[in-house]
Amino acid sequence: MSSILIEMSGINKEFPGVKAVQDGMFTLEEGEIHSLVGENGAGKSTLMKILYGMYSPESGTITVRGESFPSLTPKRAIGMGIGMVHQEFMLVREMTVLENIILGFEPRRGAMIDRRAALDKIDYYARTYGLSVHPDKKVGEISVGEAQRVEIIKTMYRGAEILVLDEPTAVLTPQESEQLFEILRSMKKDGKSIVFISHKLREVLEISDRVTVMRGGRHIATLDGSSATAPELARLMVGREVFLGGTPVPSEPGEVALSVEGVYVPGEKELSKLRGVSFSVRRGEILGIAGVNGNGQSELAEAIAGLRPVQRGRVVLGGVEVQNMPPRKIREHGLSHIPEDRNLRGLDRQSDVKENLAACSFSEPPLSRGGVVNWGRVREFADDLIRSYDIRPAGVDVPAAGLSGGNAQKVVVAREVSGRAPVLLASQPTRGVDIGSIETIRAELNRAKKEGAAVVLISSDLEEILSLSDRIAVMFEGRITGEVSSSEADELSLGLLMTGGRR
Amino acid sequence: MTRTSWGATLLTILLSLAIGAAAIMLLGYDPVEAYYQLFRGAFVGKFNIGGVFERFVPLMLTALAFAVSAKVSVFNVGVEGELYLGAMAAAWAGYALTGLHPVVHVPVCFALAMVVAGAWGAIPGALKAYWRVNEVCVTILMNYVAIFFTSYLVGNPFSARTSIPRTPSIEESAKLLRFLKPSRVNIGLFVAIGVLLLVWWVLYHTTWGFRLRHTGQNPDFSEYVGIPPKKVMVWGMILSGAIGGLAGAIEVMGIHGHFLDNFSPGIAFDGMLASLIAKNDIRMVPVLALFLAVLKTGALGMERFTGVPKTLIDTIIAVFILLAAMEALFSWKRRGAASAGEGA
Repeated sequence: MSSILIEMSGINKEFPGVKAVQDGMFTLEEGEIHSLVGENGAGKSTLMKILYGMYSPESGTITVRGESFPSLTPKRAIGMGIGMVHQEFMLVREMTVLENIILGFEPRRGAMIDRRAALDKIDYYARTYGLSVHPDKKVGEISVGEAQRVEIIKTMYRGAEILVLDEPTAVLTPQESEQLFEILRSMKKDGKSIVFISHKLREVLEISDRVTVMRGGRHIATLDGSSATAPELARLMVGREVFLGGTPVPSEPGEVALSVEGVYVPGEKELSKLRGVSFSVRRGEILGIAGVNGNGQSELAEAIAGLRPVQRGRVVLGGVEVQNMPPRKIREHGLSHIPEDRNLRGLDRQSDVKENLAACSFSEPPLSRGGVVNWGRVREFADDLIRSYDIRPAGVDVPAAGLSGGNAQKVVVAREVSGRAPVLLASQPTRGVDIGSIETIRAELNRAKKEGAAVVLISSDLEEILSLSDRIAVMFEGRITGEVSSSEADELSLGLLMTGGRR
Repeated sequence: MTRTSWGATLLTILLSLAIGAAAIMLLGYDPVEAYYQLFRGAFVGKFNIGGVFERFVPLMLTALAFAVSAKVSVFNVGVEGELYLGAMAAAWAGYALTGLHPVVHVPVCFALAMVVAGAWGAIPGALKAYWRVNEVCVTILMNYVAIFFTSYLVGNPFSARTSIPRTPSIEESAKLLRFLKPSRVNIGLFVAIGVLLLVWWVLYHTTWGFRLRHTGQNPDFSEYVGIPPKKVMVWGMILSGAIGGLAGAIEVMGIHGHFLDNFSPGIAFDGMLASLIAKNDIRMVPVLALFLAVLKTGALGMERFTGVPKTLIDTIIAVFILLAAMEALFSWKRRGAASAGEGA
C-alpha cells in the first residue's frame, strides 16, 4: 500500500476565455479509491482527461510510476495502464458486447479472431469482480448499467491497473450504483487503483479512501475518507465560509402566484430527473432553491418555463395550469425567466444588443404595429434599458457576442425584469459574473420582490441564497428535501439537506 | 455586412480573375484579349446586356431562395426542384386559363407557381423541424422527383404533341413584356428586384422576419423567448420554395413561352453558389448573381472571338468559390473561437 502511482502537480489548462484548471494537483496511491469531488465546471473531468491524455495542459507535470511527462496521449496513457470510463459511453451500438470489448485488441489465432480466448477472459472478469455481461448481445440492447460494466471490462482488457470513472453513478439506479460499488471494492482488493469522479457526497463518503475537493479549477483540499463529513465536503465544494451578502429585506407576502404540485420531469439520461417536486411562491417574496448542481434544478426551471415536458403533476401560474404549454403561452400568463445558461438560451449571440433586449416585446406596440417593427422605438427602448441597467459598452448596435459575461447577463436580466411580470424565475442569475454586476443583478431581484413579484431564485451559491431568500427549499436528487425560513437557516442545516440528510 | 467584407469580396473577384488569366496563358491564349472579349460579350450591345439580365433573374431569385432557407438554418438543395414545379405550374395556368386580362393572368400564374413550389418546400422543412430528417438528403432526392414528374407531365397530360417534349404555348395574356430586344429580357427583371426588396424588408422590418432570423441564429433562444422555432422553420422553407417557384414562372412566362422538358441546366445550383459566396447575405446576393451572370454571358463572346473555351469560365467561378469558401472558413473559425470562449 501507499506507494504513489500518479502525481499531478502545477497543472494549468485554459480553454478560450476560461481557466478550467489552475495549479491543479492530484495524487493517487496504489490500491486506493480516491474520489474527486466538486461542482459542475470545477475542473474534475478536465483534470482527469489531462491524465488520460485527451487534453494537454499548458504547464505542469504528470508523474506516473516515477516517470515524469509534461503531457500524455491516450495511447501512452493506456500503455501505462490507465483506463478511463467516460460519462458518455464510447461503445458501438450495432456491435456485440464481445466485439466492443476486443475492438482494436483482438486475440488472434492465425488470421481469425480467437473468440474462445476472448470469452474466457471476459468470463474471468465476471467471476473475479462480478462484472457480469452478455457477450453476444448487441450494445444497443443492453441496459445502461451493463453498458458501464462493458466499458470497465474494456479498459481492463486493455491492461488498465488504474481506472478513472467520470461520474459513473449519474446514469445508474440506486441498485445499480450499489452493484457498481461492490465491483469497485473487489477491484480494489485485487490491487487496482480507482479515481471516482462525483458530486454525490453520500456515495463518495461510502466508498472513498481519500477525497480531493476541487472548486473553480483549483485544488481545495484532500481529506481522509473515513474522517470527512458531508457538510464539510459541501462547504468546501460550494466555497465561501464567510458570508458576504446581507440579510434578506423584509417582505409582505401576498397571494400565491406560482405553485408547483408533484411534478415529475424526465432528464437527459435518467427516466425521471424530478420526482415529485412541490412548492409555492407568494407575491412579494423570494423563494430560494438551493442544492448542489445537477440535482434537478435545471430541469425544474425548464419545466416551469415550458422548455421541457412535464410527465406528471401541475404547474399553476396565476391560477392557470400551464404545464406543457408552449413557452410563449406561459410568458403570457405572467412568467419571466432568467435562464441558467445565457449563451445557450439567454442571448442570441449572432444578433445585437437591441434585438436581444427587445426579443420578448418586439411583437407588441409600441415596438411594432401590424407586424411591422418600428426600429426607432426599438432603439429608444433598448437605449433606456442600457442606461438603467448600466450595460457596457452602451450601444444598441453592439453585437451580443462582444459583451463580457457580466454585461451579457445584465442584458438578459434587463429584458426579463423590465417586463414587470408577476413571477420571476431566476436560474443561476449571477454565475460567472463579476462582482459589480452581481450587485446590480441582486438589487434587481430585490426590487422585483418589493414591487410585488413572486421570485424563484435557483442558485448553487449558498451565500446568494441566504442573503436574498425569504424561504429556502433544498433540492437533492430530484426532490425537495426540506424547506426552511431564512431566519432559521444556516449553512450547516442547508449543507445537510443538500447532501440528502434530514434536519 | 461590413465594409471590410465588401472589400474582401472584391479582392476575391480580382484574385480569381488573375488565376483565370494564368490558366488562359497556360492554354496559349492572350488573357487580355480573352477578358476584353468577355467584357464585350457581356456589356456591348443590347443583345449582350439583355443576355446578362436574362441569366441574372433566375440566378438571383434562386440565390435568394437559398439565402432565405439558410436564414432558418436549412441547407436547401431543393431550389432546382422548386424551380421546375413553379415553371410547370405557371405554364399550365398560362395555357389552360384563357380569356383573362394580362393584369389578372400574370399574377394568377405567379401565385400558382409560388403556392405549388412553396408547398413543395414545406415538405423538407417540416421533416427537418419536426422529425430531424436531414434536409440535404431529402431535398436532393426531391429534386429528382420534381424533375421526373414534370417530364412525365410534358410527355403525357400536358403535352403539346410536338416533336420536342413541351407544354402548349402560354396565352399572350400570360407572357411577360420584353424589352432590350432582340434579347429575351423581360419585366420579370423588375419583378425579381421587387421581390428581393420585399424579402429584405420582410426579414429586417417585420416581426415575422425578426422571428425567422432569430430562429435560424439560435433556435434554443427563440424557443425560450416564446418564438415557436419549428413552425418558423417551416414558414421559412415555404417562403424559400415560393421564391424558387417564381424563378421558374418567370423563365416560362418571359423566356420560353412554354414549359420545356429539362429546361434548366442547373440554374438553381448556380444560384446556390451565388448565395453561398454571399454568405447568405441578402444584400450581397444580387451582386454575386450579377457577377456570375456577366461571366456566363461574356464567356460565349470570349469563346466565339478568341477560341478560349467557355468552360474556362466555370473554372474561374470554381476558383472564386474556393477562395470565398476559404474566407468564410476563416471568419467562421474566428466566430467559433469567440463563442467557445464564453461558452466554456
